[in-house]
Amino acid sequence: MQTNFTPEALQNPAMQASEKILRTCVHCGFCTATCPTYLLLGDELDSPRGRIYLIKDMLENNRPATPQVVKHVDRCLSCLSCMTTCPSGVNYMHLVDHARSHIEKTHRRSFSDRVFRGILAAVLPYPNRFRVALLGAAIAKVFTPVLRHLPGIGARIEAMLSLAPRMIGGRSPLERPQIVSSEGPRRARVALLTGCAQPVLNPGINEATVRLLNRMSVEIVIPKDEGCCGALVHHMGHEAESHSFAKKNIAAWISESEGEGLDAIIITASGCGTTIKDYGFMFRNDPEWAEKAAKVSMLAKDITEFLATHELPAIVRATSHTVAYHSACSMQHGQQIRDEPKKLLKSVGFNVKDVPEGHICCGSAGTYNILQPEIAGKLRSRKVANIQKIAPEIIATGNLGCMTQIGKGLSDTNDSTPIVHTVELLDWITGGPTPKAIEKAGLKADIAINTLAAE
Amino acid sequence: MGIAFPIPDNAIILRREAIISGLSALIPPESLITSEDERRAFETDALTSYRRMPLAVVLPTTTEEVAAILAFCNENGVKVVPRGAGTSLAGGAIPQEDAIVLGVGKMNKVLDINFGDRTMRVQSGITNLAISAEVAHKGFFYAPDPSSQLACTIAGNIAMNSGGAHCLRYGVTTNNILGVRMVLIDGTVVDIGSDAMDAQGLDLLGLIIGSEGQLGVVTEAIVRILPMAEGARPVLFGFETSEEAGACVAAIIGAGIIPVAMEFMDKPAIEICEAFAHAGYPLDAGALLIIEVEGSDAEMDAMLKKIVTIAKKHGVKTVKESKSATETAAIWKGRKSAFGATGRIADYICMDGTIPTGQLPYVLRRIDEIVKSYGLRVANVFHAGDGNLHPLILYNCNDPEEANKAEEAGNDILKLCVEVGGCLTGEHGVGIEKRDLMRHQFTDIDLGQQMRVRAVFDPKWLLNPAKVFPLDGRISP
Amino acid sequence: MSAPSLFAEQELIDSVHAARKAATPLSIIGSGTKSQIGRPAQSDKTLSTAALTGITLHEPAEMVIAARSGTPLAEVERRLADKKQMLPFEPMDYRPLLGSTGEPTIGGVVAANLSGPRRIMAGACRDSLIGIRLVNGKGELVKSGGRVMKNVTGLDLVKLVCGSWGTLGVLTEVTFKVLPKPQRSATLVLHGLDDANAIAALSAGLGSPFEVSGAAHLPNGVERVSATLLRLEGFDEQITYRLDALKKQLHRFAAADYVEGARSAALWRSVRDATFLVEPRENAVWRISIAPSKAAKIIAEIKKSLTIRHFYDWGGGLIWLSLPATGDAGAAAIRSALFGTGGYATLVRGPADIRAAIDVFEPLSPALRVLTAGIKQSFDPDGLFNPGRMIAGI
Repeated sequence: MQTNFTPEALQNPAMQASEKILRTCVHCGFCTATCPTYLLLGDELDSPRGRIYLIKDMLENNRPATPQVVKHVDRCLSCLSCMTTCPSGVNYMHLVDHARSHIEKTHRRSFSDRVFRGILAAVLPYPNRFRVALLGAAIAKVFTPVLRHLPGIGARIEAMLSLAPRMIGGRSPLERPQIVSSEGPRRARVALLTGCAQPVLNPGINEATVRLLNRMSVEIVIPKDEGCCGALVHHMGHEAESHSFAKKNIAAWISESEGEGLDAIIITASGCGTTIKDYGFMFRNDPEWAEKAAKVSMLAKDITEFLATHELPAIVRATSHTVAYHSACSMQHGQQIRDEPKKLLKSVGFNVKDVPEGHICCGSAGTYNILQPEIAGKLRSRKVANIQKIAPEIIATGNLGCMTQIGKGLSDTNDSTPIVHTVELLDWITGGPTPKAIEKAGLKADIAINTLAAE
Repeated sequence: MGIAFPIPDNAIILRREAIISGLSALIPPESLITSEDERRAFETDALTSYRRMPLAVVLPTTTEEVAAILAFCNENGVKVVPRGAGTSLAGGAIPQEDAIVLGVGKMNKVLDINFGDRTMRVQSGITNLAISAEVAHKGFFYAPDPSSQLACTIAGNIAMNSGGAHCLRYGVTTNNILGVRMVLIDGTVVDIGSDAMDAQGLDLLGLIIGSEGQLGVVTEAIVRILPMAEGARPVLFGFETSEEAGACVAAIIGAGIIPVAMEFMDKPAIEICEAFAHAGYPLDAGALLIIEVEGSDAEMDAMLKKIVTIAKKHGVKTVKESKSATETAAIWKGRKSAFGATGRIADYICMDGTIPTGQLPYVLRRIDEIVKSYGLRVANVFHAGDGNLHPLILYNCNDPEEANKAEEAGNDILKLCVEVGGCLTGEHGVGIEKRDLMRHQFTDIDLGQQMRVRAVFDPKWLLNPAKVFPLDGRISP
Repeated sequence: MSAPSLFAEQELIDSVHAARKAATPLSIIGSGTKSQIGRPAQSDKTLSTAALTGITLHEPAEMVIAARSGTPLAEVERRLADKKQMLPFEPMDYRPLLGSTGEPTIGGVVAANLSGPRRIMAGACRDSLIGIRLVNGKGELVKSGGRVMKNVTGLDLVKLVCGSWGTLGVLTEVTFKVLPKPQRSATLVLHGLDDANAIAALSAGLGSPFEVSGAAHLPNGVERVSATLLRLEGFDEQITYRLDALKKQLHRFAAADYVEGARSAALWRSVRDATFLVEPRENAVWRISIAPSKAAKIIAEIKKSLTIRHFYDWGGGLIWLSLPATGDAGAAAIRSALFGTGGYATLVRGPADIRAAIDVFEPLSPALRVLTAGIKQSFDPDGLFNPGRMIAGI
């Protein structure tokens, strides 16, 4: 499309980058077809093309964001389905990231909105605070019928409380910095992102990851000073904060890389993976961090990406359970990882099925299911209905947010199908314990014949 | 740029508040868009070099709402520009300052499917591909497949009488619609056609299809669905020159073979598409034909053998058959994303003229000459079987001089199409893009007859008035 | 255009001007083989296109043919057959049914939108018609469309004029997109099915991937034993395979045998021209268009009050029926049965007094009537051409 940035404006590197992106958009409208909000609302303004147009106008004129622009950009899930569909290669992700930070700089949100977002940003990225908050949520759940009627924030509070688990387990041994080695010669050395919400809500995922990698003679290091990847605040447009989180991680991993060395940085939540792989772009203009960030982005691998290029351990249990593979948006659109997880599951014996409308987001999208409860709820119901169409025994995915979101949707329809992380299944079949959710659902896998024979 | 819009009616603009107030009584708030920021997203379609801010935008959800809106606009002299998905390459959905945009995007449901009769009833805001997706599980599909089928609506298809690669075999939109529910400008709801074949009386359905939103707003349609063939296989044929490719097409038809699709691409287009889809297009070919056959495996083998024999007689250099569903999808993805993929390397105007297929080599040569004479580049993609060309004129839209040159080159190409016995537009429609060239194809008598027919439906020229007919010499009763 | 034809076209234009001046309505005919269809003529003068003959364009490689409107259909078909091509829509010959004489013209085919059995697969006449030249009621020569199929320039008057029974203008030239003539043609025949099962079988066939190009059912009122017919056309090896595959698929309805060559062609000519209902000559004949899934029920409904002989074409989507031409020739009962079904009926054969008294063509809803009258007005403001042919007063 034609753009109208002044030469002065284009001196700003962020504006320059966004202008380039806007030039590639030909306004063809293909993106509208695969956008979850356009699917639900049928309104150009809630489609990628419409958002691009709003953002273009705002940035070209360097205007403060208006409430209307904020409304429609806030509704964007950042699922990036549009990027998969776009024939012209528009980098919508970078454009909307820029727009979000422009919004935070130029638009004053309502008091309740600011407070709410502030709380999310202050709590979720910090496991200790998150733990305390969840305890509070467990108590506050009782008051949901009253709280939901609070004007302005009632729906969000209800959403938040409904997503909080009834109880959480104790601290995982993996939550502190450490090195986990396996016996015998080491085949690779990787760092593992512990993350922020994941260790609190589902420590089993990383525990399964460590067990599996150890079994493959891979040494895992959880470096000191590693923390939240910054995706959460990044998607709220808090650029300075997200850069701060990123720098901590970059420093921690580069220190390991330059020390004992790293073959990869393993990430078990695809939402984090997308952001970490973008660190290189985020710091491209920062002379001090550019090279380090680029190195980190290059080393970053989703666990399934890493496993796909290494030999899995021998199968210890026989299984032919039907698994619906839910491809998280950040996995398929953000990182373009589509087939690897399915191939891995098939290779250990599962009967893997695709979910109808698999390219459409489940509505989790980071904190979207708290900030935009109505749309998130509709997408959740749609996703659960699509999964139920193929009647799987197990649902597997590579992102914690999806597990929480879909889990809630399943329980809302009294559906007790277990939902687990892909790596938990791979660990289980190659010698690990039965994942809690699988056990709860009463599913079993017998000891494999070859293992018996070996005994 | 060179295409004029009518001068907006100031009286309407001054009454904007009252008009919006009136509209707000007819639809819920989320269906009415009035803020400047939000209206801006509707100021253009896929012909982005032209933009006009509408008075307001309405997104109704029922036929009744559409009727109320049109009746209101009719009473108040407010112009209406209907909009589907806004993917028109001819400016068909570009509004004007004294008009509202009426978008049907929220009316996107499937209403009824009858597999025995092979008919489907849908709301007009449903996308073309969604119609096929709905019946795919039973082995059926909706045939007309414009390249934008992922996103375009059946409403837009009906307005433009859209075609697509597979219309060589299956016909265009007008050959695949059995009936519509349409709202006239005065709010009357009329059902034209039905689930029976051949609409009664005068073929009003045939008239409405291709009428570019100027006769009424279609809210529902009854479409034909067809059984899918047992299998489909596209084959890539690489030639050194487009003359050879063109002659091959003629020979295939001459042998009594009508493949289900025959698409042509020249070297620049091949490179563009391959960069996006990685489908294995031969990058050393001067011209590429994608020929698709359908049937059982044995039938396809037999058909392809015949086609390959003919192609060999016309100097084919590479023959690459799709061996899997994934490959087939990639081959078509490349072709169908050609326009958008072009956006990776340059801005472009996508032309749409039709010529008698025998004129192919001559016209391709002339297109090259014309575009070069303006100092620009061109990539050619088109439906070889029916002579419908899509030259993509590449230019820099941030450069006003180049933009003008590109537009003029496009006009010259379209005039050429008419000169050799073809027409200005094969499937994209006239919109605003070809409006001022209409007298190259039609006499004033021809246009007069068309405008008198138009006046039967919309005597006050309220529906999409800036389009199709030259602004001067309009007939009002 | 050649000199004699330019002259003929100009003569036509002059005649229209003259009729306009004298305010005398005209009956438009090619050679008049279908003059008995429609409401009786309300004009004394006849305007014929018989002098406008000749094929003006035939490009086999482009699958296009154009002819002046008075050209005999037979000539167009012969020329196409020479190059192994055909008019896809299989226009019928009304002469046997109507007992008329003369040489049907290509213009008449277009004016009546004649479409035979292959309509279900290849489309109707209006789907193959891509260009027209006509003289409207103001004596103006109007052209629409052209010689290319992909043509969406301006309003599609080509479709509007096709099937308008000469009420909008006098055609002087018509252009068609044609198809190759199939190499081989064969017909599957299933015996003994009742109407409902026959239509279900035809629907199954038409829902198969085998490109059924003719789907008809002859109940035991027109044949000794009912015969359900499905035609397959294509290349030799295709037909061998498809006959067998289709037979298997329809086995759940009945066993099938098949006919080929001249026998198959003769069968479909009979279906096309409704020869089964030629006799008794005094009977009235109706043509009903309906969604196939409703067809058998409609017939059962009609049979409650009328004695009819009938058969189905277009997979059940077209019903031909004949009945005694007494009273209103069944008009009220038939229209009542069709009410609310989306179907419509046209009386194609009947005595003039009945045709003057009833609605010959399906009555129009008020909104459609307004539009139809307006369009008629826009072409023919003085009501010169075939006034009242289709709808009384228009």
